Amino acid sequence: MKVVRVLPGHIARIIVSASCIGLLAAGCATAPPASDQAAVAAFSEANDPYEPFNRAMLDFNLALDKAILKPVAYVYKEGVPDPLQTNVTNFLANLRGPVIFANDLLQGEFDRAGNTLLRFAMNSTIGILGINDFAGEAGITGHTEDFGQTLATWDVDDGPYLVLPIFGPSNSRDGVGIVADHLIDPLSWLTPFEFQIGRTVGTAVDRRARNYDQLNDLEKNSLDFYAAIRSLYRQRRVDQIRNGAPASSTPIPGRISVVPQKTDSQQSKATTTKK
Amino acid sequence: MTGSPFKFLGALVFIVLAYTATAQAANPQDFVQNMGDKAFASLSEEGLSQDQRTERFRGLLNEAFDLPRIARFTLGRYWRTATDEEKTEFITLFEKFVIQAYSSRFQDMSGQKLNVINAREVSASQVLVLSEIEIPGKAPVKINWRVRSKDDAHKIVDVLVQGISMSVTQRDEFAAVIRKTGGKVDGLIKALRRKTGSN
Repeated sequence: MKVVRVLPGHIARIIVSASCIGLLAAGCATAPPASDQAAVAAFSEANDPYEPFNRAMLDFNLALDKAILKPVAYVYKEGVPDPLQTNVTNFLANLRGPVIFANDLLQGEFDRAGNTLLRFAMNSTIGILGINDFAGEAGITGHTEDFGQTLATWDVDDGPYLVLPIFGPSNSRDGVGIVADHLIDPLSWLTPFEFQIGRTVGTAVDRRARNYDQLNDLEKNSLDFYAAIRSLYRQRRVDQIRNGAPASSTPIPGRISVVPQKTDSQQSKATTTKK
Repeated sequence: MTGSPFKFLGALVFIVLAYTATAQAANPQDFVQNMGDKAFASLSEEGLSQDQRTERFRGLLNEAFDLPRIARFTLGRYWRTATDEEKTEFITLFEKFVIQAYSSRFQDMSGQKLNVINAREVSASQVLVLSEIEIPGKAPVKINWRVRSKDDAHKIVDVLVQGISMSVTQRDEFAAVIRKTGGKVDGLIKALRRKTGSN
């Protein structure tokens, strides 16, 4: 079992690092001088050596979004009746069933694989090709998985942050994951090319429409939209990899190294007096 | 006639006691549930102007959240390099920034409700309260609250929406702004002043 888990992880790590080499030419952020400790720490924490390239890519994606995706998503969101939008969301989510199932298996999560299989069977039939989340209404709620998450469970690091054209926020691990998911998806070999185009466009519009208000909000209220997206993407991925279990390793406000030592000793004093 | 000022005083004492009682709920779970109920009732009231809503939001925010602590956290390692004046101004601007960013998000909350599910201890003084917000016709949103308790008084120090920490997001964003403006807290303060429209 151990061998099975380590081997794909090892290969994947090589692929991940190989895929980054091509990007080296694309422009690297200059690391701050070693004398400036705070700056060096911030630089390594951001784990974003291709920041200039990534920022340009975000601008490119945003321009494309403003010109095409955002207006289309708006018309869809406002014009299409809500129940129909839910049908579309369900249909597209159901199409991901086989990929989620494969990744559940690759992660050794057999209970979750069973759940995915059951949902796919129920929704594809009684749910009429997945337009109704029949299983969800019966209390069998779904989850999502992808190969990026599978790699993470095989201990592959996320690698540097990457903003991919059209696909948006990612990192070298999850970028490999997108390609792998496409390859292991039976629907990508079994369905005609037209269907795949429709599916890709539909997925983009559906997702954009559902995040419409949140994205507007974030753009309006952030000081650095790029940095906010980067942080949100990372945290979301960590949460997905943990399958939503609350982390105890998240830094806790007030319990970090930058807090003056005084606070800590005051706290321990308070606890000892209580005892 | 002479009794009426005392009646008024009595009512005032009662109100103060009742108010303190909600702020010092028996455990963090009840505290979050009470705050949630209060926030939904108060902010979703019909016919409220945006200014009134913002004022109410400010009141709730200061009552329920340990804002200075959160502000200090979001400055991260730069808290140490900031001068006392910068720290004071940053905390003031941070409050304005949070109110500006979040108060408009509570415009349409009709039919929504917060349900506390359970809680788990994360340290001697902190508890993570797990809750869900019920939204009619949509999947519930998972919200976790990091609550710090001291002498039976509770304050929220972080909110996690679907696993994403608002404090960490803010800290990462502030760090990027500081880094872009030459590693000085002053650069962030200027950006916050512009964003919140404070001279």
